[in-house]
Amino acid sequence: MLIDANHLHLNLQGQTILEDVSLHLAAGEIYGLLGPNGAGKSTTIALLLGLYQADRGDLKLFDTEPRDNVALHRRIGVMPEHAGFYEWMSANDYLVWYAGLYGGLLQPVDSLLQQVGLEATGHKPISQFSRGMKQRLGLARALVHGPELLILDEPTNGLDPRGRREIHDLLLSLADERRVGILLCTHLLDDVERLCSRIGILDRGRNVAEGSLPELLGANRSGRRYRLRIRGVPDNQQLPPDLKLLRRDGDWWHVEISPTMAADPSRVWEDLLVHGWQYTEIHAESGGLETLYLQLTGAATDKQEEAA
Amino acid sequence: MKPSSLIAQKERGALLQNQRGLAWLLAYSGILSAFALLLISNKELSLLDNAQIVYMMAGTVTAAGALIAVIMGADAFAGERERGTLVPLLTAPVSPAQLLMGKALGLVSAWLLMYLLALPYLWAVGAGGQNLLQAIFYLALFGTPVVLGFGYLAMALSARSGSVLSSMLTSLIVLLFSASPLLIGPGLRNSVIGKAIDAVNPFSGALNTFDSVIIDSAPFSGQLARLALVLIWLSITFLAARVTARHPNFR
Amino acid sequence: MKHLQVLLLLAGLLLGSGLAQAANLDLQLAADPKNPSSPTMGDWMHFNSVISNTGQQAIDGLVAWISLVEVTAGHEQPMDLEDWSAHKAVTGTTLAPGGSLQTNWPVRLIKQGDYRVVISATDRNDKTVFTSPTIQFHVAQKPVVESRRILPVALGLPLFIGGLMGYRRYKQHHAG
Repeated sequence: MLIDANHLHLNLQGQTILEDVSLHLAAGEIYGLLGPNGAGKSTTIALLLGLYQADRGDLKLFDTEPRDNVALHRRIGVMPEHAGFYEWMSANDYLVWYAGLYGGLLQPVDSLLQQVGLEATGHKPISQFSRGMKQRLGLARALVHGPELLILDEPTNGLDPRGRREIHDLLLSLADERRVGILLCTHLLDDVERLCSRIGILDRGRNVAEGSLPELLGANRSGRRYRLRIRGVPDNQQLPPDLKLLRRDGDWWHVEISPTMAADPSRVWEDLLVHGWQYTEIHAESGGLETLYLQLTGAATDKQEEAA
Repeated sequence: MKPSSLIAQKERGALLQNQRGLAWLLAYSGILSAFALLLISNKELSLLDNAQIVYMMAGTVTAAGALIAVIMGADAFAGERERGTLVPLLTAPVSPAQLLMGKALGLVSAWLLMYLLALPYLWAVGAGGQNLLQAIFYLALFGTPVVLGFGYLAMALSARSGSVLSSMLTSLIVLLFSASPLLIGPGLRNSVIGKAIDAVNPFSGALNTFDSVIIDSAPFSGQLARLALVLIWLSITFLAARVTARHPNFR
Repeated sequence: MKHLQVLLLLAGLLLGSGLAQAANLDLQLAADPKNPSSPTMGDWMHFNSVISNTGQQAIDGLVAWISLVEVTAGHEQPMDLEDWSAHKAVTGTTLAPGGSLQTNWPVRLIKQGDYRVVISATDRNDKTVFTSPTIQFHVAQKPVVESRRILPVALGLPLFIGGLMGYRRYKQHHAG
């Protein structure tokens, strides 16, 4: 296990910041850490990195209790949310300098830049980089020493759809091919659904859910709603068991997939065809991770809105 | 290369390659140039005794050096935090002691550069007069701990508060307070409170030594108590920086 | 008779004033023979004083000090000795009858002009201030600050750093 954190508590200046947070990440796994602003995600990351010490709870990283931050940091790559750089340096110089803190580069700086899509910009001063380019450079910095564990805070912020897809592919290949464990903090639920095999949701310093997406959707009975354009209806008009009709609006049928199937609706659509239904379009309306997230963190959001 | 050397190298780069660092150096040389030009443009000052001028220049170098050291010290942790570069340093395999050592060495390099920049000014105003070499020697001996001490004080506050503005303002207030006996004149300096402040004030210690050795040609043996004072100042401020840099404010 | 009374009163007053003048000091002042013949700014001059107790009683708490007065035409003024001398006074000395105190007064010449130096003395019990003869001397101007040295440094260094800033900016804009 790369991260084995159980029931972590943290008080800072007399205030409870984390209360009973657990998080488990194995090699080759991508873990999505979700939660509203102020839920404790960044604090949890800081705690994992040894920047804070938990008041209570058990924490093991790489199957040992972390004692020496310097040794620990050699195995972890971090991309903070607000990543800054020494902007008078070029990307090349910066990465070489930063790799020096780890004992030197493991691969040529050009290939590292190419990996994150920054080829041919290595000699440019960082001050001339766009936000998206800085995000990519932040990822290159996190990868500079070939870490076993990557902790990424909003890594696709500021990237265009193509850039986002490239970063997704890179993260998936790191997890699959190099068995890197990735802890991904993001507000982009699409990213989590696409990338993460496990998810943890924090709310006001507490774990409100942890598990795989199907497990979470099943456990919380959160269905997923779709809008289908139906062209052919079987005589018995019977829907598959995992699909419930909510209402009908001409050709458009509004349906909900049962929580147990919400993580993988493709089987339901196949089932629909088997039952003699013909459809031309499917549109997701709600449900799934988004509904679950809103349900689990709704109380906090409501209170925040009230306070505002 | 050791992490502390790499960080010190980066600090030197920030001073010599970064526009902001160069602007600080420009401001520093501007202060010394303004003083030197005042000497030739003002008849009263231009007739001052040579040793007096060298003494004043040594004091100006120390004050301007302390000012730049305060700016650099305040930027050391809080500036990195505000620009988002502190967390990458704290999550690299660098211990807090190595990080502080790198910053401290960076400040030493900056002062060395400022000291070297001051030499042409000292030569320009003091060549041919008495005690120029003593001025250069005592500026290194007393100016170094005073300037670095102010830098380390700002560094300690910077690591603790995480705010460049607050750490810089607090350090500047201490610097102004240290310089206040010189501003309030000899009358108040001779009062009990004035003497008490002088006795523990590293800035006064350095200036009194400059006065004593450059103008009055006093021997080294007479400066030992003041040397101890400035070295104690340096030790206390560095210790304070060590304590706060163990857990710098990074949020 | 009235004339006689007035004379006796005057004689009494004169006698009384003579008895009150307990201290009797003689001050001599001479320039040191090693002093430069044509002193200029920055030179040191030394003055030797001898203060003698010519009275019949010992003098306690003797205070002697050096004063400098500028007598340059149009600039007549007493000088603040702050930068001129660290040795400004002798205090707390006791002089036995017939005894004397020799003092060397070093003075660093800070400013050009004509000056007079004088040593004054008094003691704890007497209100009289005794002064030495004065010594006048001229301090010639010496150009301590030379613009041919200062201008290249004071203008050159900021220009050099400014040039370095410009070069760095240019290099950054044309990099990559």
